[in-house]
Amino acid sequence: MAGEPAKRQKREAYRQSLTTEEQNIALPKKKFYRQRAHANPFSDHALTYPRGPADMDWASLYPAHAVEKTGEGAGDDESHDRDRDDGEKEKGKTITKPVEIADIGCGFGGLLFALAPKLPETLIVGMEIRTSVTEYVQEKVRALRAQNAAPNTAYQNVACIRANTMKFLPNFFAKAQLAKIFLCFPDPHFKQRKHKARIVSYTLNSEYAFVLRPGGVVYTITDVEDLHVWMRGHFEKHPSFERVSEEDEAADECVEVMRMETEEGKKVERNGGRKFVACFRRVEDPRWP
Amino acid sequence: MKLPYQCIEVADRSIDSGNEWLLFGASGSKLIVQSSTGVQSVWPAEEDEVRHINRDDEPEEPPGKRVKLSPAANPELNVSCVTLSSDKQYLVAVTAEDKCIRVFQINSEYQLHELSQRCMARRPCSIILTPDDSTILCADKFGDVYSLPLLPSPDDEEIETPQNEQTEPVVEKPYAPAASLLTVHSGRNRKTLEEQLKQASKGPSKPKEPLKFKHELLLGHVSMLTDILYATVDDRSYVLTADRDEHIRISRGLPQAHIIEGFCLGHEDFVSRLCLSQSGLLVSGGGDASLLVWDWFNNQLIERLPIRDSALSYFESNPQLTSILPEDRKNFKVAVRGIWDLASGETTKYEILVACEGIPALFQFTLGDRSKPGAVISLNGNALDVAFLGSSENTRKMIVVSVDNVHKPGSTTAVRDSPHRLQCFSRQGNGEWEENSGVAQSLDWFSRQAPDGNDNAYAESNSIASDTKDLAAVRAILYGLENLRKRPGAED
Ligand SMILES: C[S@@+](CC[C@H](N)C(=O)[O-])C[C@H]1O[C@@H](n2cnc3c(N)ncnc32)[C@H](O)[C@@H]1O
Repeated sequence: MAGEPAKRQKREAYRQSLTTEEQNIALPKKKFYRQRAHANPFSDHALTYPRGPADMDWASLYPAHAVEKTGEGAGDDESHDRDRDDGEKEKGKTITKPVEIADIGCGFGGLLFALAPKLPETLIVGMEIRTSVTEYVQEKVRALRAQNAAPNTAYQNVACIRANTMKFLPNFFAKAQLAKIFLCFPDPHFKQRKHKARIVSYTLNSEYAFVLRPGGVVYTITDVEDLHVWMRGHFEKHPSFERVSEEDEAADECVEVMRMETEEGKKVERNGGRKFVACFRRVEDPRWP
Repeated sequence: MKLPYQCIEVADRSIDSGNEWLLFGASGSKLIVQSSTGVQSVWPAEEDEVRHINRDDEPEEPPGKRVKLSPAANPELNVSCVTLSSDKQYLVAVTAEDKCIRVFQINSEYQLHELSQRCMARRPCSIILTPDDSTILCADKFGDVYSLPLLPSPDDEEIETPQNEQTEPVVEKPYAPAASLLTVHSGRNRKTLEEQLKQASKGPSKPKEPLKFKHELLLGHVSMLTDILYATVDDRSYVLTADRDEHIRISRGLPQAHIIEGFCLGHEDFVSRLCLSQSGLLVSGGGDASLLVWDWFNNQLIERLPIRDSALSYFESNPQLTSILPEDRKNFKVAVRGIWDLASGETTKYEILVACEGIPALFQFTLGDRSKPGAVISLNGNALDVAFLGSSENTRKMIVVSVDNVHKPGSTTAVRDSPHRLQCFSRQGNGEWEENSGVAQSLDWFSRQAPDGNDNAYAESNSIASDTKDLAAVRAILYGLENLRKRPGAED
């Protein structure tokens, strides 16, 4: 889109002005990464995504948690591509544990950077459809890791990828891989005609249920009451989810982080707006009929 | 010129004197039926058509006098999918332009009697029936699968707002926008909000008419669906759906279709066709160079069958076709239009037949044996559809192929006019396919004479114009697959 290259140029010029050491640890500036608010989730973006979870290269996103592969297909037991004859190089590294938390539509990553130190043992990924916004978060991850260089491992458990989660969530995560999914301040798509663009719907909830393990939780928060009612309605009528009780919600530290640390959460706070929270637990699948 | 048959289907029936078959074909807006005993019928019948035309001439006629179901097909409509109930009593067809699912009863005189028309909100791309024939599953262009009863019961006539519809509950209170200025942050959202308020001051906009028949949203992809299958394994049933974004999804069957059991991921271009082989394996094809064979139950890719290479060598071995190959062979691509299980009866050898868009041949493959290129059935027009004649499920030895008589072989745009719309083949003892002139002879009426949507008063008055117009519409129905290939925009 127009304006993007200019922004990129300014970004580059700014980076050039820094010394190498400064470059390494300098946090990115948001003004160089702002992008039009909405990306169309239905169009064919020039996206890259793995063919399936087994093809996903997590190791290079979390280098501190990567190890050399030992033996044939080690750590890759769900590889469903025995017949790999397309010459694609086997990645040399694999990850020691799977990603368990996904922040869908992570924006500038406020939640990610607040959660990462609180859950140091858990791998967290932000997923964002807008290129520049994704690049901002990736730059910030890089800078924060550099600031906390080894043996300090802070922020080694957080990463961000560009993805259209409405289409490609199952390309990234295997069945029951995730423990938590965050849907914070999703784009409201006020117009009726655009409701299918909403990130929560009865049919999409089946995909969230697929990648979540039983007992896993979807966290939602919004300042738009109608959207809150919509999300609640679509999760409550989906048989794979049950609403998390208010006590459990209050006891969950992630809820407070989500309220206070997301960019949108802060903005709403400044404006004195209301925030509507609802969390839903993935229940066990029923027996086959 | 007769329009080709975009779909054909066969029903085997047992009658007093043994077995008979019924061949159904959709040509333009017409449905054609012929039995092995020689009985013929056409829907809509001629007199219906006359009535339809008269009606258009008299717009003054009070609507009350109109029959509820207009039996006359509108010649502007084209049938895009046809499926038969397993008891062979019903035929379900979709007309593309009005997104309508039409259920027909096949009566004892082999005539089609239209029982219902249900127009969906989005264009159905593929329809199937559950094995008990009770329910239609409709996979649509927006990625959703709906279930509808095959035969709506009178109680269902009430206006039903389906359970899981993506719409908001109708709010009776005066219009208040969902956002306030506090919640709207971007300039763009603000504009939307202002528009909403402006709209509200003009009075509520008329909401889209809800569908007035029973239908339930079962599952959905955020992508265009291209095919749907229902499978039963060890008493458990599954719904398999394929989409334009390379996914094959395995969901539980009714009533738990909201539960996803797994995905078969491996395609790198659109998936357009799914076929369950008697081996239990799933074969999928689309815009990729290979067909993929799956142990779908375990989401495991078993093998790749090189459909593009087979098609390319067929083109290269055929002088007329070689000339239309792209200079750079790398640009030669195939889009899989159909995959059929050949159910040889031998439990050790599983074969399939494959048709690709705009290619005048059928390609045979043996699962688990991609080393040997399979047989190729050469056709005199592009392959459109295949049906198996007079065969019980495990001996598929006689096929009818619908071929494109209005486009040149190998082309989806160059026009020609050939009278033959069908070719028939039977399989010899040595496994080879040979053209079967006897069957072709018995289907001569079906192949050459049966009317298409074109021979009617409208078309005759202005034959050339309507020919070209119909051709464009027919082309859109016959050759839509290449459009599924992605052309990623610069949009970010
Ligand atoms: C209003 S922002 C909220 C950002 C962040 N979660 C917060 O609370 O501050 C919504 C974000 O979702 C992203 N988004 C929308 N649709 C998406 C999709 N299909 N896949 C990934 N991200 C998406 C948008 O680009 C946008 O950055």
